[in-house]
This record gives sequence, C-alpha cells and structure tokens, in this order.
Amino acid sequence: MKSLWLLTKKNLKLLVRSKMSALVVFFAPLFIILLLGLSYNTSSNYGLNIGIYAPEFTGEVESLMSSLQEQEFKIVKYETSVDDCVKDIKGGYVHTCVSLPESLAVESNEQKEVLFYVDPSKINLVWVVQDTLGEKFNLKSQEISKGLSGGLLSAVSDTKSKLEEQRTQLSSAKEKSAAASSAAQEINQQLTALDLTVPASTYDPQLIVTFKDTASPRIKSSLSDVKEAIETVEASGLEDKTAILGSLGEVEDTLKSLDTLVSGGAGGAAASSGNTSNNQTTVTSTASPSGFLSALVLLEEELLNTKVKLTAAATAVGSTSSSLSSTTQNLQESVSALEVAQQKVTDMKASLDAQKVTDAKVLSAPLVTKIESVSQESSYLNYMFPALLVLVVMFTSLLLGTTLVMMEKNSPAFFRNYFLPLRKGTFVISTYLTTLVITLVQVLVILAVSAVFLKDNLAQLLPVAGVLLLSSSVFSFMGMGIGYAFKSEETGTLASISTGSLLLFVSGVVLPIETISPAIRSIASFNPFVISESVIREIFLFNAGISGIWPELVTLAGYTMGLFVIIVVAEYLVHQHFISGFMKHRHLKHRQQEKRDKNNV
Amino acid sequence: MKLIELRGVGKSFGKNGILQDVNIIIEEGDIWGIIGRSGSGKTTLLNLIAGFLEPSSGEVLHSFKVTEGPKSMHANLHRIKDQIGYAPQHNSFYPKLTVMENLLHFGQLYNLPKETLQNNIKGLLQATELAIHQNKLAEHLSGGMQKRLDLACSLVHKPRILVLDEPTADLDSVLQKDIMNFLAQVNKQGVTLIIASHHLDLMEKVCNKVAIVHQGRVHSNGYLEEIRKPFLKDNFTISLSPGENKERFISILKTLPVDKIIDRQQHLIIHPKNILKTITGLLTMIQDENLYLHDLDIRRPSLDEIFETITQEK
Repeated sequence: MKSLWLLTKKNLKLLVRSKMSALVVFFAPLFIILLLGLSYNTSSNYGLNIGIYAPEFTGEVESLMSSLQEQEFKIVKYETSVDDCVKDIKGGYVHTCVSLPESLAVESNEQKEVLFYVDPSKINLVWVVQDTLGEKFNLKSQEISKGLSGGLLSAVSDTKSKLEEQRTQLSSAKEKSAAASSAAQEINQQLTALDLTVPASTYDPQLIVTFKDTASPRIKSSLSDVKEAIETVEASGLEDKTAILGSLGEVEDTLKSLDTLVSGGAGGAAASSGNTSNNQTTVTSTASPSGFLSALVLLEEELLNTKVKLTAAATAVGSTSSSLSSTTQNLQESVSALEVAQQKVTDMKASLDAQKVTDAKVLSAPLVTKIESVSQESSYLNYMFPALLVLVVMFTSLLLGTTLVMMEKNSPAFFRNYFLPLRKGTFVISTYLTTLVITLVQVLVILAVSAVFLKDNLAQLLPVAGVLLLSSSVFSFMGMGIGYAFKSEETGTLASISTGSLLLFVSGVVLPIETISPAIRSIASFNPFVISESVIREIFLFNAGISGIWPELVTLAGYTMGLFVIIVVAEYLVHQHFISGFMKHRHLKHRQQEKRDKNNV
Repeated sequence: MKLIELRGVGKSFGKNGILQDVNIIIEEGDIWGIIGRSGSGKTTLLNLIAGFLEPSSGEVLHSFKVTEGPKSMHANLHRIKDQIGYAPQHNSFYPKLTVMENLLHFGQLYNLPKETLQNNIKGLLQATELAIHQNKLAEHLSGGMQKRLDLACSLVHKPRILVLDEPTADLDSVLQKDIMNFLAQVNKQGVTLIIASHHLDLMEKVCNKVAIVHQGRVHSNGYLEEIRKPFLKDNFTISLSPGENKERFISILKTLPVDKIIDRQQHLIIHPKNILKTITGLLTMIQDENLYLHDLDIRRPSLDEIFETITQEK
C-alpha cells in the first residue's frame, strides 16, 4: 500500500509539474463543462436560419413568419425566386428553404403544397428542420383544416336545427291531420248514427183520422152514461147524495169539455179554464174546437212535410257521410305520409346527432401527437448532461491512462524502476489510482460547476459520481492498454483519441444508434460509453435505484477487472521487452551524441 | 567473497550473437572495469551481470546470500533487487522531481527504515555535493550534477554491488575525475563496482580488475597488473618542446646503445639495447649540452595501449 501511495504521489507530482498536462487534466474538463453548461442551459429553439420564398408575402405568410421568429428561427425573405434560397443553402447561409404557395387559403379541392429544401449532407440538421419546421407547418395545416371543417360542421349544424324545426312542424301537421281525420270520422259516425227514418205506423195520418172518427161517439156515450148516473143518484134517497152528485157533475163537465174539444163544441173554454190535463193542452192550446181537427190536419201535413225533409236529410247525411269517409281516408293517408316524413327527419336528425365529433379542431386533427416527457421538463443541459459527463470522463481517463503509461515508459527513470523491489501489478495499480484520483477531482469539479446549472438534480450527483468513477476505471485501463501497446507518446495519444471517438460514434450521441448497421448496433450495446451513459441517464433523469442499474454496474465492473487482468498479464509478458527497447533506444541516442561530439571536435 | 560468477555465458538476440563464452568472477570489494569499443557488448555484459538479461548459454550466478549457495541471477533477481544498484548510461531519475524528492522516492520504495534512509540521503547529498541543490528540480541541474544525482539514486538503498554503464559519458574531464573519485569513495564503503566505460585512463586509475571485451568475447580479465604483464614495454618515449632541436636529440641518441628510434613529430620512441645505460647516457648528454627535455615517459604500458594492442591484434 505504501508503494502504491508513493507511486501515485509521484505520478500526481509529475502531472502537476508538467504545465501542459496540468492544464489539460484539470482545466480542460472544467472549461468544457462550463462552456457546455453555458451553451446548452436553455430550452429555446435551435438557431436555424430559415429562408422563406413566397410569390406574395401576404398577411398570412407574414403571420407564419412571425410565429417562426418567435421560436428563435432567423427568417430570411426571398421574394424573387426560390433558387436564390437554394443557392444560399449550398453556401451555408441558410439551413433550409421553405417555398410557400401563392395563398395558404384553401378554396377548392386542390391541395396546397409547401416545399422544403434541405441539404441532406447535414443529416442531423435535416432532422432538426423536419422536426421543428414540420411541426410548425403541421400546425398551420391543422389551422386551415380546422377552418374548413368548421365551415362544414357549421353547415351540418344549421341543417340539423332546420330539420329539428321541420320535424316539429311535421309533427304539428301530423297531429292536426290526425285530429281532422278523427273529427271527420266522428262526424261521420254521428251522422251515420242519426235515425232519420219515418216510422210508417207511428206517423200514419190515418190514425189521426181514425182517432177523430172514434173518439167523439165514445165521449158522447160516456156523457150519456154519466147523465144517467146523476139522474139515478138524484132519484135515490141517499143521504150523502150531494157529494156523489158533485163528483159526477165534475165528470160530466170533463166529458162535455172533452167532447167539445174533439167535436169542436165548447171544449175551448174548458181547456182555457185548466181543467184538462197538461199533455192535452200543449197540442191544442191555440186551437178552437173546430181547430183541433184542423190542427190534426196541419199536423198531418207537417208530418208529411217532415217525412219528406227527413228523407231528404237522410239522403244528404248519406252523401256527407260518404264524403267524410273519403276525407277521413285522405287524412289518414296524409297522416301516414307525415309519419313517414317525420320518421325520416327523425332518422336524419338521429344520424346527425350520432356524429359525436362536432368540434372542427378534433375533426381536422383527430390524432394529436403529443410528446410526453417521461422525465421532468428541463433544459437541454439536463438531457445532454449524462452524455457530457461520460464524454469528459471517457476522454480524460483514456488520455490520462495513455499519458501516464507513456510518461512512465518514456521517463528516464523507467529502467531504474525495473530494479525496484516491486511487483509489476503495483505500477499498473498506481497508474490506475493516479487516473482515478485525477478523475475524482475532475468529476467533483465538473459536478460542482454543474450544480450551478442543475439545481434540481443535486441529490443525484453523488450516485452519478460513483458511476463515473467506475466508468473512469474502464476507460483508464483502456487508455493504459493503449499506452502499453504504442511506442511513442504521439501515436499513443492519437490512438486514445481515436478509440474515444470510435466509442463516441457508436454510442448514439453523435448519430442515433438506430441508424448504424445492425451488426455494429449489437456490438455497440457493449460499448462502455453506452452503458455508462445509460446508467447515469437512469440515475439522473429517472432517479433509478441500485436495483434498476445493477446489471450495467456489474458489466462495468467486469470490464474493469477484465482489463486489469489483461494489462497485468501483458505487462508481465512484455515489460522486459519494453525495457530492452528503452535501453536500446537510449543507447543508440547516446552513440549518436558521441559521434556528433567527435565530429564537432 | 565471491558475489557473482559468470560461467561460459553467451548471449544472442535471435541469430545475432553478442557475447560468447564469458567467464568472470566478481568478488566483494572489487572495482571491475568492462572496456571495449562501441558495440562490443559491454552493456549486454553489464545487463547479464545485473540479472536484467538471461544468458542464452552458460549461467550467471550470485552468492549474495551465503547460506543459500549460488543461484541464477536472472531467475532470482526479484529477491536480490535491494542488493543491486544500476546506473545506466543515461540518467535514470525523474526530471520533474527535485533532488530530494527523487532520492526519497527511490529510497522509500526500497522499504528502508525512515532514519536509515535519511542518513543515506544525507550522506549521499554531502558526498555528491548536491546538498545545496536538494530542492532544485532534477532537470534544472547541470550535466555533472545530474550524473551525481543518478549515482546517488543508484546508491540510496546502499546496494552491495553497483553496476555503472558509462558513468563519465558526456562529462568534461574535471567532472569525469570527480565522478571517478566519488566512485572510489563508494567502493571504500564496501560497495562492489562494475563499470563499463571507454575512458580507459580513468578506468585504469580506479579499477583493480578489468575485462576487455572485443568482438563478443572477453579477451582478458582479472587484475589489471596481471593483464599488463604480457604487455610490459621495451621502449621509452621522450617528448620535445616545439622549436627544440629534434635532430640534435636524434644524433645524441644514435651515440647511445639503441636499436631503433621512431620519430613521431614531437615524440621520439626509443628502443634501447640496455634501457638503464641508454637513459643514463641520455640524461648526462642533455645536461652537458644544456638541452631541454619536455617529458620522459618510461612508464608501464597503459590500459589504453594494452587495449589498442589487443584490439589491433584481433
């Protein structure tokens, strides 16, 4: 342990005293993260230059341009030709050209075309343009579509209310028709129910004649009988014959009156004195004894007239009833027709009511794509932060690993170290520890600087630091391996940078990993950069716990152990070769110096 | 006490044979000089001795732990790393660390007790005269100081054996001497030194044993005096000042018992028949004639000469 500390201390001193190394190792990451922090700590849109060509810059176009400018796009107007704009794309002055139609208003079935001119060689920019501008124009398209749909829906709604109105009127008409039909039917029934037949026996005038001929003799016969009764009573010795005679006298008077009435005698006086029954007086109230018969005659005539009238009425009723039946029939048909019409209107309304989508916005864009962030909405720095951290740690560790090994290999003291009573692994571990110490310092510096920009994620910084150290171990050993594999510091550094770049290119940071070939893609998933970035992303953005990331951590630890073993074995096998090479190199250099000295002398 | 023994050691890289049949015994307290031309295999030999390389043939054995007996240097290097110090041809420390930090860093990695380490560092800083520069970054030191720091780093854990590859390369002569003097001091403290260098004059002064490597073989090895014996000279050299009458000297010499006089500009190499009579006669005549002799070299063959002789012969 003491040896490890001594070697690490020595490495750190050498690094610090080499001004360039100190600058690169300590200040470069700080500078990078500060620069990136300041650059990407924003959620505003991309600073794209958009060329807009339109035959006429109408208010609508200007409005569109203003909305684009609101999103921090810089707008360049091209009024003469779209070719000028395309030329400027090639020159790099604008990033994309948008050729607009004469008018954005849609007034026929013809679609309006908006043309985008992009430079496909700037592939990532093309995506940005597609994403951002495409979205903007989709919104405009939706807006137009919304207007069109709104018009259509308004017409439909209007129709619906008119149908409703018509339906009400139809209903009212139907009800009225039905009522008329019903009334006609009722009238018909009532008419039909009228009994206008003239019963021949009851209203026969002969009966009156017969009555006239038979009633008078019978009354006279009864009068004669009463007179005889009076005479008999007077003749009798009855004590109370006065009362009987009085009654008989009354009967005699009645019969006389009746006889007068029927025969045309003094019956009128009797009737006016009110001694006769009410029923009889109603018929003969104005008749004289001679008028009774006349009345009967009149009655007879009246009866005949009435009979004629009734017959005529019966005929008329029959005719009317027939007409009413016909009318009822028509009315019923009319009601049926109205019912059908009403049903159809009802169906139409029901059909219109069944249209659940009545909002033009929904109709014009039934599917709204909404990107829901699975993490907290933040600035670009939050999203880029995991990749940035791993990027800095990767390059630092790779370069440090290579530099330290190279420094040791090319150090004048390399040969002396061979004679030190230390194991070869001690040097490997000390180099690793040196890298780790410096990376730790850098990570702390980076996280401290980052804390200024990422105030919401402070709690995650500690586990992130842990993962970064593990990642740093992997990259340090990789860098050390490169250091051992190459002879000169220049080639070693170049190899480190190349390795870092390769890992970066197959990580999905520069280009989406999905765009590379499937074979490489499957290998890329084992890329320590990808693994580290993924773990830090999970911790940083999704607050993942150890249970969610342990497979990645185990993989990184496995890489670390594997690389350590490989380096120790390789170092053991080729260390002597390195020293021989080192000695040979120094020896040759020395001889050349000697020759030069001799020649100078 | 025998520390390291090379037995019939050969080393080849692929089909390229670098060394063959090397037999050397390194004993505690020795200062071995490994000399040879560039590309002769000196560094390979050092690496074999230090256990960094495994021999292709033969064996390199160490006896650092007496109780365990000789063991393969390369196979057991991890167990005896704290006994070995290695200062390669180039400086081997961290330029971005200070002198003190470098010493502390390497010393601490040897797991020395804190006090021992501090004493070692203190001693080394004094010996290398780096104490006043201890807080300077290593890269800001001069070349000589950097070399001394490198040696200090190699010695901070007090190794029993220190292997040095061209410790005086790229240094001026004063610094070369300083370094060699420092190494001599280190050796006096009990550290066995194995030095590869092509500065033979300096090696000759410091090393007690030498191995001459040429064309993949060790042609001579052992004590320097033993190596010198076959190469003892039968001549002497006089050096004249510019403007001195060389002809006069030659004519005087011809009166003396000499076999051959070789004229090499300001130097005259004389092969006498009797070295004593010739030198005595020469000195008398110089005094009589009032001549000026700049230098008279009657020394034994230098390592450089021996090396030249061997490499030219082969």
